[in-house]
Amino acid sequence: MAATFFGEVVRAPCRAGTEDEEEEEEEGKRETAEDREVRRQLARKREVRLFRRQTKTSLEVSLLEKYPCSKFIIAIGNNAVAFLSSFVMNSGVWEEVGCANLWNEWCRTTDTTHLSPAEAFCVFYHLKSSPSVVLCQCSCYVAEDQQYQWLEKVFGSCARKNMQVTILTCRHVTDYKTSESTSSLHSPFLKALKTQNFKEPPCCSLLEQPNIVHDLPAAVLSYCQVWRIPAVLYLCYTDVMKLDLITVEAFKPILSSRSLKGLVKNIPQSTEILKKLMTTNEIQSNIYT
Amino acid sequence: MASRYDRAITVFSPDGHLFQVEYAQEAVKKGSTAVGIRGTDIVVLGVEKKSVAKLQDERTVRKICALDDHVCMAFAGLTADARVVINRARVECQSHKLTVEDPVTVEYITRFIATLKQKYTQSNGRRPFGISALIVGFDDDGIPRLYQTDPSGTYHAWKANAIGRSAKTVREFLEKNYTEDAIANDNEAIKLAIRALLEVVQSGGKNIELAVIRRNQPLKMFSAKEIELQVTEIEKEKEEAEKKKSKKAT
Repeated sequence: MAATFFGEVVRAPCRAGTEDEEEEEEEGKRETAEDREVRRQLARKREVRLFRRQTKTSLEVSLLEKYPCSKFIIAIGNNAVAFLSSFVMNSGVWEEVGCANLWNEWCRTTDTTHLSPAEAFCVFYHLKSSPSVVLCQCSCYVAEDQQYQWLEKVFGSCARKNMQVTILTCRHVTDYKTSESTSSLHSPFLKALKTQNFKEPPCCSLLEQPNIVHDLPAAVLSYCQVWRIPAVLYLCYTDVMKLDLITVEAFKPILSSRSLKGLVKNIPQSTEILKKLMTTNEIQSNIYT
Repeated sequence: MASRYDRAITVFSPDGHLFQVEYAQEAVKKGSTAVGIRGTDIVVLGVEKKSVAKLQDERTVRKICALDDHVCMAFAGLTADARVVINRARVECQSHKLTVEDPVTVEYITRFIATLKQKYTQSNGRRPFGISALIVGFDDDGIPRLYQTDPSGTYHAWKANAIGRSAKTVREFLEKNYTEDAIANDNEAIKLAIRALLEVVQSGGKNIELAVIRRNQPLKMFSAKEIELQVTEIEKEKEEAEKKKSKKAT
């Protein structure tokens, strides 16, 4: 125990072990049936479910087994989702092939029948004219314990051949570690991280050490690395985490990449659609002026 | 490291940072852009207007506020903190006038605001004000002034400056374009402010608010029409400049 300057008593961690250790172990063993039931219910609640909204039936196999593809583009986070919505999804007819339903402390997508664009969701589409292109718009947070399930339900447990994965996501610039002065950083800026099998040159510089990727993008990239799937992650470091025009436009260099080239047709129209998306989704907050 | 030295404002980190002050500067970047220009006979404040909700009374969403008849300020950052600082500054302006029978100088009121902000970086249990301010006005000697304060309590005089989101972009634009010609007359100074804002404002002239103070005249807020006129003029000039460029190229 130690007293701080302000008089509060703080329990200092002790590596030698405490007398309480034995008692705690015994308590842990005394798990009741009620505890187990609670744990089971929690696990059921946190299950990731993939289903088709139109038929309300769940998918029996993994999504990519049912809809094999050569290009899989995943947008994680609202800025990445807005980028794909305005630049890619308006340049063709996309059909919804599945929707992920999950619950955690930050995201409750249980009611997926009446989703407004501002709510968090995870939907999968494929291009009607070329069904080998699959897109995932994921604006909900997938918790650590749910990421593996998500990967299983989407990718399945066998290797996918002849597929290339592109992931787009954002991170706050304060997470970016660099030896340069942070005042010289021009955010938003793009960084890339790729798997060993991805041979193309990325559209921006690679993410330097000691920076790391977190959450679902990291889980997908790790999965691709293990299963030797060529994959690239484009990470946009921005100082505005809510939906922001400048952040979304920072993804533009990716439009010249091989995976997106054939999918984007009308860029000026896309910019208009993006502006419209911004105004409709603007959350009125009076905290900052 | 940061997490152990950023809880209490009064704590320096081992490498000399006051993290709460630096975090307050991040809060400033969340506010929309404000630009201030000091001309020869005019001072201009331009701000990016935040879009107002349908049912909200527009009058109550103001980024440019008068502190006295001859001084006004624009802020970027936490709205509530700005309200508190502005109220204290206004009271000080009147108190000064009643005590010494002279209106405040721009430098005096800036120093007052900066001192107030600094106090909150050194008090136990308080957090710094999350606003930066651009304070403009004319002193009795007729010289135009522009000052900028930040959450740490520092203040400096500027010829032109910007605060808030995208302030860096606007400042770079001003460094390139603030010339003696650009502020030769009042209209040119106003145009420079608008051009600087158009670099970063998302929907053009509709989202710009402008205020000017001319020597021996009170604060004047521009109407939306007047701003539209200026924006159309600027766009015309841009087109003409581009035509000239393409002629020269051929």
